[in-house]
Amino acid sequence: MADKPITAVIIDDHAVVTAGVRYWCATAEPPIELVDAGARLANVWTGPGGDADVVIFDLQLNGEQQEFRELRRLVDSGRRIVVYTQDAHNATAVRCVELGALAYVTKREGPEHLVAAVRAAAKGFAYTPPSLSGALVADEDPNRPRLAPQEIAALRAWFASSSKRLAAEMLGISVKTVDTYIERVRIRYASVGRPAPTKSDLVARALEDKLITLSELNNTT
Amino acid sequence: MPDTSGSQTAQRFLLGLRLAALLITVVILLSLSLPNLIRSLPHYRPAWVQVTAFFVVSMVCVVEGVLALRRRGWGPLRWVALAATIAAYAACYTSLPEHGAITLADWAFGNIGWVGVILLVDRRLWELIAFLALNETITVTALVLSGGTDRTTLLSAAALSINTIGFPLAGAVAATALRSIARAAEDAAHQAEQVRLAEAIAEGLHERRRQRFANIYNTTIPLLHGLASRSLDPHDDSVQRRCAIEAARMRRLFAEIDVVPNPLVHELRHCADVADRKGILVELDSRGHWPDPPLEIRRALTEAPLAALATARSWARVTVVGTDELLSVSVIADCGQIELPTIAADGAQIKTIIDHDILWVETQWPTNRSQQSSSTTTL
Repeated sequence: MADKPITAVIIDDHAVVTAGVRYWCATAEPPIELVDAGARLANVWTGPGGDADVVIFDLQLNGEQQEFRELRRLVDSGRRIVVYTQDAHNATAVRCVELGALAYVTKREGPEHLVAAVRAAAKGFAYTPPSLSGALVADEDPNRPRLAPQEIAALRAWFASSSKRLAAEMLGISVKTVDTYIERVRIRYASVGRPAPTKSDLVARALEDKLITLSELNNTT
Repeated sequence: MPDTSGSQTAQRFLLGLRLAALLITVVILLSLSLPNLIRSLPHYRPAWVQVTAFFVVSMVCVVEGVLALRRRGWGPLRWVALAATIAAYAACYTSLPEHGAITLADWAFGNIGWVGVILLVDRRLWELIAFLALNETITVTALVLSGGTDRTTLLSAAALSINTIGFPLAGAVAATALRSIARAAEDAAHQAEQVRLAEAIAEGLHERRRQRFANIYNTTIPLLHGLASRSLDPHDDSVQRRCAIEAARMRRLFAEIDVVPNPLVHELRHCADVADRKGILVELDSRGHWPDPPLEIRRALTEAPLAALATARSWARVTVVGTDELLSVSVIADCGQIELPTIAADGAQIKTIIDHDILWVETQWPTNRSQQSSSTTTL
């Protein structure tokens, strides 16, 4: 199983984005197999795209409109989604997380974040790049989960520095602890709002791994 | 309300005029008209018409008194009162004793003009003239109908009319003149106010310029002196850094006077622009909301980013995060160890780490509303 390469399908209406992502995937270590769905959603559901582990999803497919409905449909069918978009608005990012996307990567962010997001999503883990971290720390939705002060500090430091090592140094904790705090934030988000398979998987595994306790989760809202 | 200038001076003038006209009318009414009315009461045919007319005129005075004290105009009631006054005046002539017009029994003749002034003092002059002309016509008509067409009667009517028309008219002319003076005075006061305002603005501007000059005096001027006297070498790395920082500081000063919705990010953008022009890759990302911090807090928040951006070698990332509790401005850049200017600001905290040539400075300012209000109340 460890030898089987990760496969991802990309749906994006800009050929240059697909070409760039293909290059990043090919040069990643180990490489990621990329299927090009073009701008056709059908190719994500059937054929080689239908079997891919991860969907790299352009939120603004075909113009201005954001494809939240399609995102929800894919999530509900159990697909693991990495939203890849030029939209850097807080509300959009939070909404995608709330719908069940495992990662939200803006197109300003480099290959290190997209590749890391695809790898994490393939295993069913969430990935939080700096821009999403900033969006979560500034989330003003009254229904947002309540975060612990250390978790907020970790989100802010990761957003500001784009480096887990520096964030850990600034906060005087280990890189692993920074990761844990950020992961816990995602689990808190996964435990509120509408149910989605990817979200319940995150919460179930976190409880199993004792990353968060049930009472901590209940304090979330 | 027509023809009432909104200015306060004109309003005060008008109130004075109204009270003066009312006082004159009441004095005439009580000291001349009332005794004459009482004395002639047995001769009227019938007397109740005269008493009713006197009551109408008295009521006009009472209502005017109330309205004037409440600083209110007559409004549509004016025309009702005018019609009632004219009707009462005409009715008086139907119940006078024979040859009673313009005699002492004709008590209304002496004060009707002043009642007109009461009702029309805030209107255009020609309306009062029309009112007086109408009443004079009623008097002359009554005189002619009662057979008083002899020369003596007509001459004495003309002589008496000088009093009854002339004085009220003179009063109204004076009122018109005063109103236009009041308006001119108001304009002059307004102009003087404008001049004072312009002076105050100029003074404030000058003070701010002086303040800005003081802001750069301690840091920019010594640098310029050093360069001019060649005691500082422009090829020296540290001198170049100082120049870059001073340039950024001046850019920020210029940005501080702009009126923009988000001054903090606006000033940071100007600081970033300095780095951008040198070909440095700058990311500026702000998230969340915060109350606009006062200038000295903004300076404290932008000081470290300013220095880091001005001296960055290839890249810098500036982030602003505003949450309910905290406003955090963070800059991370490959500027190496630089001496960070510290500006003492109330409640602001600075955290710095250095990793090889990467410097990360975060300035935090508590925005917690309840905390701030309690600290301001204890001051």
